[in-house]
Amino acid sequence: MMHIAELAGKDPLSRRYFMEMSAKLSFGVSLGVPFLPRNFKAQDNAKGKNLIYIYLSGGMTHLDTFDPKSNGGVMGGTELLDTVVDNMKFGMHLKELSKQADKLAVINSMTSTNGAHEQGQYIMRTGYEKRATIVHPTIGPWAETLLGKRGDILPDSVLIGESTSNAGFMDPSLSPLPIADPSGGVPNTQLLVEGDRFDRRMQIAQKLGEKFTEKFKYVGPKSYVEYYTQANRLLKSDALTAFDTSNESNRAEYGETRIGQGCLLARRLIEHGVRVVELVSGGWDMHVDVSGGTAEKLPELDLAVATLLKDLESRGLLESTIVAIGTEFGRTPDINMNSGRDHYPAAYSCVLAGGGVKGGTVYGETDGSGKKVKANPVKPEDWLATIGHGLGLNLEETVYSPTQRPFTFADKGVPVTSLFG
Amino acid sequence: MKAPISLRILCALSLVAAGIMKPSAEARTWTSTDGKPLQAIFLGMEGDNLKFKLANGSQVVVPKDRFIKADQEAAERLSKIGDDSFTKASARQIDTLLAVTLKKNGFSSFNEPLPDDLFVRRVYLDIVGRIPTREEFIRFAENARPDKREALIDELLLSPGYASNLFNYFADMYRLHASDFNNGIRMDPYINWWREQMESNRPYHEIVADMLTAEGNVGQNPASGFILRDTGMEFDAFANFGQVMLGIDISCAQCHDHPFDEWTQGDFYQMAAFFGNTQRSLGYRPASAMMDSASVQMPNAPDGWRDNFMSWAEKNKGIVPRDQNSNRFRFFVNALGWNVADNETLETVLPHDFRGDGGKPNEVASPRTIIGAAAKTGGKTRREAISEWLTAPDNPRFALVIANRMWGRAFGRAMLNPVNDFSEDQIKGASQLEVLKFITREMQRVNYDLREFMRIIYNTRAYQSLATAEEPDLVAPYYFAGPVLRRMRAEQAWDSMMTLQHGAEIDKKGGPDGSFYKKILNIDFNTATNEDVWRHYEMWEQAYGPRAGMAMVSDSGDDYTPVMFTDTEVRASELPQPAPAASMLDTFGQSDRRITDEHNYDGSVPQVLALMNGTVTERLTGVASKVVADLEELDGPDDKVRGVFFTLLNRYPTKDELDLGTGMIEDFGDEGISDLAWALMNSPEFLYIQ
Repeated sequence: MMHIAELAGKDPLSRRYFMEMSAKLSFGVSLGVPFLPRNFKAQDNAKGKNLIYIYLSGGMTHLDTFDPKSNGGVMGGTELLDTVVDNMKFGMHLKELSKQADKLAVINSMTSTNGAHEQGQYIMRTGYEKRATIVHPTIGPWAETLLGKRGDILPDSVLIGESTSNAGFMDPSLSPLPIADPSGGVPNTQLLVEGDRFDRRMQIAQKLGEKFTEKFKYVGPKSYVEYYTQANRLLKSDALTAFDTSNESNRAEYGETRIGQGCLLARRLIEHGVRVVELVSGGWDMHVDVSGGTAEKLPELDLAVATLLKDLESRGLLESTIVAIGTEFGRTPDINMNSGRDHYPAAYSCVLAGGGVKGGTVYGETDGSGKKVKANPVKPEDWLATIGHGLGLNLEETVYSPTQRPFTFADKGVPVTSLFG
Repeated sequence: MKAPISLRILCALSLVAAGIMKPSAEARTWTSTDGKPLQAIFLGMEGDNLKFKLANGSQVVVPKDRFIKADQEAAERLSKIGDDSFTKASARQIDTLLAVTLKKNGFSSFNEPLPDDLFVRRVYLDIVGRIPTREEFIRFAENARPDKREALIDELLLSPGYASNLFNYFADMYRLHASDFNNGIRMDPYINWWREQMESNRPYHEIVADMLTAEGNVGQNPASGFILRDTGMEFDAFANFGQVMLGIDISCAQCHDHPFDEWTQGDFYQMAAFFGNTQRSLGYRPASAMMDSASVQMPNAPDGWRDNFMSWAEKNKGIVPRDQNSNRFRFFVNALGWNVADNETLETVLPHDFRGDGGKPNEVASPRTIIGAAAKTGGKTRREAISEWLTAPDNPRFALVIANRMWGRAFGRAMLNPVNDFSEDQIKGASQLEVLKFITREMQRVNYDLREFMRIIYNTRAYQSLATAEEPDLVAPYYFAGPVLRRMRAEQAWDSMMTLQHGAEIDKKGGPDGSFYKKILNIDFNTATNEDVWRHYEMWEQAYGPRAGMAMVSDSGDDYTPVMFTDTEVRASELPQPAPAASMLDTFGQSDRRITDEHNYDGSVPQVLALMNGTVTERLTGVASKVVADLEELDGPDDKVRGVFFTLLNRYPTKDELDLGTGMIEDFGDEGISDLAWALMNSPEFLYIQ
């Protein structure tokens, strides 16, 4: 008969034994010894050290936000709003952001060939066209790979607003930690049993799991072993407080909305050392009643991002944190039969701020009705490359998938370097 | 192993001897109490008699008690699901074809056969969508009958869990979303219509035809939900049609020619034109303020019913339609109004920046099918024409798409991937092309009876093999020596946890079904008086209470008191669709139903935290551990350890595992049992179907 003591080896049931075992299981990570950056070719002079990527899922209308036109025929009910920057105009709902336009670099010449949400979103978040044969990583896993792991307990990247994530062809340990509900933080963190008994449970589970992961050489089960290790590490640290915004004094300033609370959580995570926070916020697919839709969504976005910029600035984090607003496409200049706007990949807008970005800048231009890009087109891979450039990622460095296919960050996109000071 | 039936020499029962000509190779052999075999196709039971068809086509009736007990039981089973002669012949044919290609590619044969314990767990998860209970596991394990596998497959295919599990698959594929529609109007009747199609095992092509040709609102005709689902995004709706029904993603051809496939921008609009006069409207005003075309009224409604009712309500019931306090009244009238109709004055128009062949910008696009035969249009609406073209026997693409999908469900990998977008070249290059062709024909032969189709696949040797141990590459061909290892879908994980908590009874526990909502919206406006419609508004008020309330009510039979549901511990298919963000189902990757086939199988830290510390785990392994309580009746640590394994992983423990478990019980008593249960729930094996 085998007893626990034998199973555990020399020092049965001890926390130390357990911690060692966890460490071994986490693909070479040993506790308390952070990774050294393995790539010294990265642009160390980049001011951007962190990224908050606010992704507006569904396709944000460009005409009603950052690329409004004086041609009333394409504006629906939206009126122009002056900003603190002379030649920068916004749609009327972006009141708070208009006061901070001097912090923003607006790209009004985004252009893509992907008119469907899935493909459009995929390339705007990975820099690659969606393929059936491989899954490409998002920015978080790329940054961790190219710059080295930063934190020892907290993950390097967090995904707010979605319930699942992956690291594409990279190791699952690089997957962003998904937080579906920003106000809920990380659920289920109260242990059912404490102390040695919990450790015992974990030991048995790992022991039993080993056979299975040996028998089946698949990424999936192995990734669960990694998630158990990460979860256990989180539970045993005080790092979980990084996800808890309940004591933040300025909750209300961000707005009691998902995007508001998401921005607040993003700021808190950056403050605690997370490198990349991706925040996905839906509700932008305004095929029906675009003026009603923008009246609802834009003030939420406006308040959340404006507060985020101020908050980062007052904490001295804006210089080192890039805030990016992206979306998969714009929306048709013509209003459709349902008073809405349809998908429009030919021209759309994205925004950058902080992290060395030259504020008060408008890059690129569309024609008088927002239909065609007139100057300086920026493709999705260029957009990602621009963010990567700001973060100091080496855009030339080749990373190989497990099947030995070579990839570089943002698929050879060309960064718009002039947006950085 | 039994000898192949075709080799057996038959000696007919005396009373049918004259009828036997040439035995059918497929027919099952029935054995009389005096040991004589009869090879015949079983047609059904007539009272206490069994009816058979002989190889020569003649029919015979034999008293049930002339057969041995095992055959009497088989007759009971087959009378519910149908004779399995063709099922088995078809399964053997698949195995034969697979084996030829496996050999050609250097594989000696299939993976090792699946042992009984792994078989029972797999078929429960694959067919009814949850793990078996300990009792169900033991019942199968202790059954010594040689035909126990086919019997269990049939039993499970006939059980309510089968419909629930298949519903979850289609809910993902067809993006069933109850509230993602204009003004929060709900789609529950449409969603429940899907549940009913699954429960009645409706042939798939009929389900599709109903959806494509539906008219009316979602109460009058729940199948109209398919078209209404994408109101305001007609081209996306068409792109979705292509993905789910034809396995072609032509969405990029909306803006430009397809980069790899042969589809052009012109193809897109010509095919889309089959839906060009499909009108989705509120049923009371011109379909388009931008167009001169007049709208057609909703079915079963006289002109102006809506205005008429609104002004009547204003005059007689004190409703102020524009007032904020009348929000719910407006919702109600809109919900009644949203409907699908055909409007001959509507057309699909090529976009202003059209660059492709086959037309000029702003021209009207004529309906044209872009693959296969041309659609027959005479005397039919455009939607009838496309529906008939799609489901016609000479359009193999439709059969192939659903056969490929169903194959993928069983094997964890389809023959053509992704299942919603593959080219003709990919079909020609399929790793098991002959099998692909065969299952496509079989889908047509069984007349799109998905239960019978799955029954064939589950009876193959290929399916009943160990999962392939090494993860197959996404790009390299896979020859199906067995299924691949799969993580449970979110719904399977949730339903398994519900089973651990509530037992097999969970399959019978219903949830809100949209029936009250359907009743409210189902009005024949030609005969209804304004008072009648008002009465439906009062019903609406009853159900709407808090706005979310509508999601959780069903019809009680009494118009004014719907059944309220508060219990959310039901199977995933019985919950409002989809489950909300950050719920357990969402956490484990349930699709948010915005795009097709979006279920996610990735792991995450929140998932493992839910398994480590979540409510269900607490009930099973916490202070008042359900697992401990359930095993109380068992004596001795060995049996208890086996009991824990049967409950959680549905398999026998290995020698080492048994030793480990009994050691824990000796050291820690009941705590050791709940610790072991916790450990099994939290080892990766729990979430996988091997």
